[in-house]
Amino acid sequence: MTAATPTAPSTSLADNPFFVLGIATDASRIEVEREAQKLLGMLELGFADAAIYATPLGPRARTAEGVRAAVAALRDPQRRLVAELWARHAPPPRHAAAPPREPGPAVRAGLRRALGWRP
Amino acid sequence: MPLVLYAIAVPYLVLQRVRQAAVAARRANRTWRHLAWSALAGVVHAAMLAGAATLVVVVWQLGWLAAPMAAVAIAPLATEWVLRFIAVPAGLHRLAYHAARFTRSGADPRAFALCMAARAAGDLTAVAWVEAQRDTRTPLGDAEIAATGLVAATRGDAKTARAMLRSIAMIVENHPAVRELAGEWLACDAAERGAWGELVDDAAHHRWPATPLTYLLEGIAARHLEAAGAPGPYELWARWALAPRRRATRRLVAEALAAPAGPAATGAAAPVEASPIATALGRAVAAHLAFESQPAVARDLALAVQAWDAALGDPATRSWLAQRALELDAPAGTVERAVTDVAGAVTDELARRAEAAQLGAPPGGDGLVGAALSRRLRHGRLDALEAAFARWGERRLDQVPHPAIDEWREFVALRAAYLAAATAGGLELRRLAFPRAFTNGSNVAAWLWNKRQEYALSHAISRWLLAEAILVGDSEAIELGHRNCALAVPTRLGHIQP
Repeated sequence: MTAATPTAPSTSLADNPFFVLGIATDASRIEVEREAQKLLGMLELGFADAAIYATPLGPRARTAEGVRAAVAALRDPQRRLVAELWARHAPPPRHAAAPPREPGPAVRAGLRRALGWRP
Repeated sequence: MPLVLYAIAVPYLVLQRVRQAAVAARRANRTWRHLAWSALAGVVHAAMLAGAATLVVVVWQLGWLAAPMAAVAIAPLATEWVLRFIAVPAGLHRLAYHAARFTRSGADPRAFALCMAARAAGDLTAVAWVEAQRDTRTPLGDAEIAATGLVAATRGDAKTARAMLRSIAMIVENHPAVRELAGEWLACDAAERGAWGELVDDAAHHRWPATPLTYLLEGIAARHLEAAGAPGPYELWARWALAPRRRATRRLVAEALAAPAGPAATGAAAPVEASPIATALGRAVAAHLAFESQPAVARDLALAVQAWDAALGDPATRSWLAQRALELDAPAGTVERAVTDVAGAVTDELARRAEAAQLGAPPGGDGLVGAALSRRLRHGRLDALEAAFARWGERRLDQVPHPAIDEWREFVALRAAYLAAATAGGLELRRLAFPRAFTNGSNVAAWLWNKRQEYALSHAISRWLLAEAILVGDSEAIELGHRNCALAVPTRLGHIQP
């Protein structure tokens, strides 16, 4: 079994190259390169829209290093295949943060103090 | 005059004994008797106050003699009041210490005093003072551990406070007043977190002597969970009436009486919605996403593992991958490598979250992901445990001896890690981990007993090792454990024969 190396970009959900570049899983190589160049230019100019990308886990920060790593991953047919496997079968990316989780047991802040204990 | 004095003083002393007996009886009961003994203790306390006041009036004619006699009669009652309403709320730790010493008679009044000083400690100077007092007391017993837990709470470290206070249950030395304090702190802490299950479990196992406040909070917890034997409204209000801090607890009682049963009471898991995603890979990614994006629970982990094993073993997945590999002009063998890469990445991500949440590998996972996850979780935990137990065993060889409380902290942390791993990994992991725990634990226990004279700590370690030896069925360890645990333990309360 081959464990993912720490330097290799993850091909799963949060930093999947297709989500990082914001392209469809059937994008051609030319489309991938063109989108990467466009994003690198926008990031260099500080465009706010380019600084965030959507994933099924919610929005993530996009960096120039992340974009370059994503293009490199999609140039390799095997890594592209793995990235496609995740991206093609994932639910649609979400642009907003995840909704708040179900509240757990009610926490009564300060109750311990009210009952005579500190803090 | 002497006759009058006797007529007042003798009943006073009798009442004092009755009150002590009522408090002791209350600690052992979690039924209506608790309420009856609490009420009796309160009535007797009032009678003692009346007797003391009468005595002062009578002896007033004796001139200067009246002052010491009045002091003797009133001081024990007044110091309780000073302790509860002045020293602890105002953070006067030294006053709390000395007042508490005065309120407790018996073999070791300083034990309770140390804990009351820890309870009153409000800043780091006070904490340092309490720790200095604690370190003068050797060997370590339940009071020193409780004081450590309470000052951890003062520092804002509730997790350590919980661990330390709960660990007292393993110590053979037993100061009931100290355990009352520990139990009450744990009950208040659990109520603050809404951890009603903890409270109900403690009550069911009679882990701590019940104070009126603890008994009330246990009743509230039982109502929230609709546990067996939960008190009715009248009984809960009676508990409330006999407990202190009625203003703070009134709302808790009202909420408990109005609350519907919580999820823990029903025990029913939330229904699992049918996945709308048709393909096996779609279901696997959806299950993976559910496990990644929500608080990690065993059920979601099992669903994710099951879905991935099904998807990666599905012929449809292979044919889809082969088709895409062809379209991408990928070299031969790409499909197998892609499946291996995906299984590896999935195992990494699931293992990372499962380890953080102390989850075990789901049973029956024998696919690509399930088998790798089982190996990973078991080996990782076992390696970490073995390294930790080895470091523990080597501590006794250090040139500078560690304070006894640090030895105890180390044991409590290791035991928690061992139990977490055993819970997640099951009996198989327990059997693998026990030999290292036994070897190092036995050495440390013998060293604490023979070289450090920390008898109660040594006994607690031996008792834990014996319980584990019985669980894993190690006959040699059981025999040694029985021998070690049969030794009488010297404590401040005398030699205790377990």
